[in-house]
Amino acid sequence: MHITFVKKILADGTPCAKCADVQERLEKAGQMDRIDEVIIADERDPESPGMKLAAQLNVSRAPFFVVRDEADAEPKVYTVYFKFAKEVFGKTSSKRDQSKEILNDNPDLDFI
Amino acid sequence: MSEPASPTEVIERAFETHTPNQVAISFSGAEDVVLVDMACQISDEVRVFSLDTGRLHPETYEFIERVRDHYGVEIDVLTPDAEALDAFVKEKGLFSFFEDGHQECCGIRKIEPLQRYLEQVDGWITGQRRDQSPTRAEVPQIQEDTAFSNDRRTLMKYNPLAEWSSAQVWDYIRENEVPYNKLHDQGFISIGCQPCTRPVGPNMHERAGRWWWEEATQRECGLHAINIQE
Repeated sequence: MHITFVKKILADGTPCAKCADVQERLEKAGQMDRIDEVIIADERDPESPGMKLAAQLNVSRAPFFVVRDEADAEPKVYTVYFKFAKEVFGKTSSKRDQSKEILNDNPDLDFI
Repeated sequence: MSEPASPTEVIERAFETHTPNQVAISFSGAEDVVLVDMACQISDEVRVFSLDTGRLHPETYEFIERVRDHYGVEIDVLTPDAEALDAFVKEKGLFSFFEDGHQECCGIRKIEPLQRYLEQVDGWITGQRRDQSPTRAEVPQIQEDTAFSNDRRTLMKYNPLAEWSSAQVWDYIRENEVPYNKLHDQGFISIGCQPCTRPVGPNMHERAGRWWWEEATQRECGLHAINIQE
């Protein structure tokens, strides 16, 4: 299995806060060691490895994970951390993490 | 349904698609009261819920009660999971959102109870409007709810006010003598939790009244390529 973690740099050059949050969760859970590759999607540079990978896989959000079971297998893309952690690492997220993730991924809910 | 339909037509569609008690109206204690007003003219089986985060203004609690009395509807007042909230407050205190952003607190106080409640219904009706925020700029009138649907069932989400502006909502409130939250008379446009809501000045967007310490761009998860050469 090969896991790629794609982090974003915003158009203004600042790192993506959610990407940092996800990386912190990976580190706290001891999962960072199982990430084979971390690449950057720099919104200022469409040729950056992460932007090219996002375009290739038709991904419109970041951070995201790409999991390949075998070298030539179809990659599986995860844009939701807790789903990735559950399916790939078998780790069940807390209610708190899941709810935060739902809000992060559905910003239209913020005024509810 | 071809857009745009009137808000009332969207509510009628929701009640035709599901039995009225299988579709719930989300009432935040603000100007989305117009949904309750419209729904009560269509059905006498209106199901309404409010998210009581524990941090609302006293005026909002009073208003929720006033709406209950005025329309004679039951309102399901949803509260956060006590265990999760206790652990969160013990770990991070009562104002962590000023440093960590509002998502974690909103997740516990709003999203988790909302998710739990929506398990009981087939659809829900919200007051979301496109003009409220950049994050709502593409809200359709009717959609499959991708946030809360799961492998077992599809939840429908109805946004009758999607096409309306704030001015249209307020015209409706005045013309129909709909009760409204007293905070609106104090300059509040968008009303949420007390620590995270403030009045805004003339010509300021309502988004400026919520989580004003956060950078909007920091919350976006989309990938926006720039500098792409034609």
